[in-house]
Amino acid sequence: MYTLRKVVAIACITPLAGFGVAACGGDKGAGGGGGGGGDINVALTSFPDYVDPQLSYTVEGWEVLWNVYTPLLTYKHAKGKEGTQVVPGLAEKMPDISPDGKTYKLKLRPNMKYSDGTSIKASDFTYGIQRLFKADSGGSVFFDVIVGAKDYADGKANTISGIKTDDNTGDITIELTEANGTFENVLGLMFAAPVPPSTPLDKDATNSPPPSSGPFMISKVDAPRTMTLERNPNFKTVKDAGADEVAGANVDKITVTENKNNSAQVTDIEQNKVDFMADPPASDRLQEVKTRYGSRFRMEQSINTYYFWMNTQTAPFNDIKVRQAINYAVDPEALERIYSGGLAATHQILPEGIPGHKPLNLYPHNLAKAKEMLKEANPSDMDITVWTDTESPNNEAGEYYESVLKELGFNTKLKIINADNYFTIIGNKTTPDLDTGWSDWYEDYPHPNDFFQPLLAGESILPTNNGNFANIDEPKLNKEIAKLSEEQLGPEQEAAYAELDKKYMELAPWIPYGQRTLTTFVASNINLENIITNPTFFQYLTSFEFK
Amino acid sequence: MPTDPQTVGQAGDSGAAPEAVPEQLSNGSEHGPWYLAYKRFLRNRVAVAFLILFFLIVVFVLAAPIWASDVAHTGPNDTHTLEKLHYDGEGHDVVNPAGQPLGPVLFKAGGKFFLGADSRLGRDEMVRLMYGGRISLFIGVVSGLITTLLAVILGLLAGYYKGWVDAVIARTLDVLWSLPVFLIGLALGISLAVGGLKIGPLELSSGSIWNPILVISIFSVPYIARPIRGEVLALGEKEFVEAAVAQGASPLRVMFAEILPNLASTIIVFFTLSIAANMLFEAGLSFLGAGVQPPNSSWGTMISIGEELLTTQPLLAIIPGVMIMLTVLSLNIVGDGLRDALDPKDR
Repeated sequence: MYTLRKVVAIACITPLAGFGVAACGGDKGAGGGGGGGGDINVALTSFPDYVDPQLSYTVEGWEVLWNVYTPLLTYKHAKGKEGTQVVPGLAEKMPDISPDGKTYKLKLRPNMKYSDGTSIKASDFTYGIQRLFKADSGGSVFFDVIVGAKDYADGKANTISGIKTDDNTGDITIELTEANGTFENVLGLMFAAPVPPSTPLDKDATNSPPPSSGPFMISKVDAPRTMTLERNPNFKTVKDAGADEVAGANVDKITVTENKNNSAQVTDIEQNKVDFMADPPASDRLQEVKTRYGSRFRMEQSINTYYFWMNTQTAPFNDIKVRQAINYAVDPEALERIYSGGLAATHQILPEGIPGHKPLNLYPHNLAKAKEMLKEANPSDMDITVWTDTESPNNEAGEYYESVLKELGFNTKLKIINADNYFTIIGNKTTPDLDTGWSDWYEDYPHPNDFFQPLLAGESILPTNNGNFANIDEPKLNKEIAKLSEEQLGPEQEAAYAELDKKYMELAPWIPYGQRTLTTFVASNINLENIITNPTFFQYLTSFEFK
Repeated sequence: MPTDPQTVGQAGDSGAAPEAVPEQLSNGSEHGPWYLAYKRFLRNRVAVAFLILFFLIVVFVLAAPIWASDVAHTGPNDTHTLEKLHYDGEGHDVVNPAGQPLGPVLFKAGGKFFLGADSRLGRDEMVRLMYGGRISLFIGVVSGLITTLLAVILGLLAGYYKGWVDAVIARTLDVLWSLPVFLIGLALGISLAVGGLKIGPLELSSGSIWNPILVISIFSVPYIARPIRGEVLALGEKEFVEAAVAQGASPLRVMFAEILPNLASTIIVFFTLSIAANMLFEAGLSFLGAGVQPPNSSWGTMISIGEELLTTQPLLAIIPGVMIMLTVLSLNIVGDGLRDALDPKDR
């Protein structure tokens, strides 16, 4: 279910040709100055998939809705690694976890109200989780681990037996079927944000979004064109309840508008007609923006890994020597250029910014060595199909990879599949010739497990919606992933994840080649210095203010 | 897009068929009609000039392997992303760290990267232009041949047999004609580009250039078959056809020995024009990702690649665009010249 988010994430960083939407400049006079009010206009290449905290599963959706719906736990209002830290949101403090790791106890802060004046109750958390299952949310998989969740999803029970709440005291107890070291991260996602029972249980609420528990509320939605966020008049009750980690709004109003023409967005920002574009400028305009508007532009770290996978279960990639040889042959520096400098070359699974990341490069580029190793391996099957998608520059990355394989002597066939269907096709085991190809992964939440469990664990090999494209199934490493997933993340676990990264790279199921960087480009009167970019949720719109 | 027969100036369904080309013109000349047509064509200086231009384009694309091996020293799909090109006493990145490809170098580096690099992959634009032209022309000519062959057969059958045979063929062509050709061609092209095609013994792998050829050939048939059917209908009423039938000639003999030779001028003109139309069709499909598949190039795919760098390297899209324009223009003018030469009454 991560695929949707992944695909749109890719699309969002790719310039799209299309038609422009005229956007008006912000009303800087309305209370602007010194971070005190004003209206800003934000351009998105793709409108959020849903304006619904339980359903939205795209970068665009999370970036906007993060400022509207606050879960029990949240992520620190900070950039870089600090921003990956889970902190209390609507809950009074971090959960008390039982020694066996299966029981989480939280307490809702008292006297908080939604934007429409309704009280925020502990049972609203249960209702939000129930919506995940009844409205077929892509995020429901993260909550399968709650006792009774599957029975509720299957219609065998009327409630989720593993969640107990008390609206009078605000107590919330969650029972898990097994210990889960990532559950705090999961509780920090918007999927788990409480919503009142007036929200439809089994339907998308995009056209009439639930009331807000965050600094902004949604005052108008015209999906998929535009939406307006205004200050939540009752956010004061959340702050008064002690939710210090949830940042307040600087501006009064945010108008979000879709504009498919990335180049037009760049021009609008340059001319101060729009205050911020969420997507990076088109690659042919990146240099212009960097040189002419350096004071209004900066590159941002994002937690992701771009890689080529090799199917370890079929020849020639069932030979570790072949896989290692290709790792030596691919040059991540060449791919840096193919991504126009918008990608930092790496050669490991865990990207920078994720806990457990430890710089690693087992395969420095060496084409001669690659050819020598391949000669030794002498693979019997030299006919391979290389897969990639149509989005630029991923298609060019695939073409580069194919040219490297050809140089190594393979007989290659390149298949470039429409980005909308790409992951569905390569995730279906009945698709013929799934030999090797391109992929990427954007974290669901900042935890190293999210890079191993869904992508490299043997149990993640599925007949459809497969995420383990390399089909690697190493029992010993599977056990390590399972064991680590039950433990709370600490220095010891981080070191173990770094070691796991190395062990997988020794087996070379992937050729990781880089980490994509995102960008912030703003109008001249926006205070760029104070904008906070979170590695998971990208720009905090609450941090936007006028100079 | 396939050429509209109305603009070609040939008789359509409703128009009167031209007279059969006589064996000898009545002015007493010793030369046959083909020689006279040839002489008339030579008198059309614009058509001759564009015929020469077309031959130059053909020579240009046929020289691709020579240029690639002896001048550019690289293949059309070889990537040079991290390489430097040395000229003017210094090294220049083929693709700079910002992902901008090298612009035209002309002969500064001995002909390497004469037109610069094609994209962030750093392939030689000139080599790809020449090889891409081979593919574009190959698709245009081969699909033109297939289209013309199918159209002639269907037109002959429909026009000669009339009745239910004509009804079935004519209505099928009507249906094909009424379809949004480009959109369906696009959908079919994408589908074939992903999964290839397997019908009985016919098997085309995804990425094969026979996929766009097949799509273009089929969808272009009505644009030639309908006017040919109209001509066959008219020729079928002529005395020489009636005489052949009276002498006991079989239908096949009448169609292919009596009627077909009288269609020669029409077929030649339509074939020439269909190459041009099919090249444009291919360029459109390739631009939209449904034609020639990467890493192979055609002029259409090159425009598509160049489009992304339009603001910084406009030549990457303009040069293949100009090549398509010159080729199509020359074929259209040559086609018009042939029509005038072969059928002077239709001027």
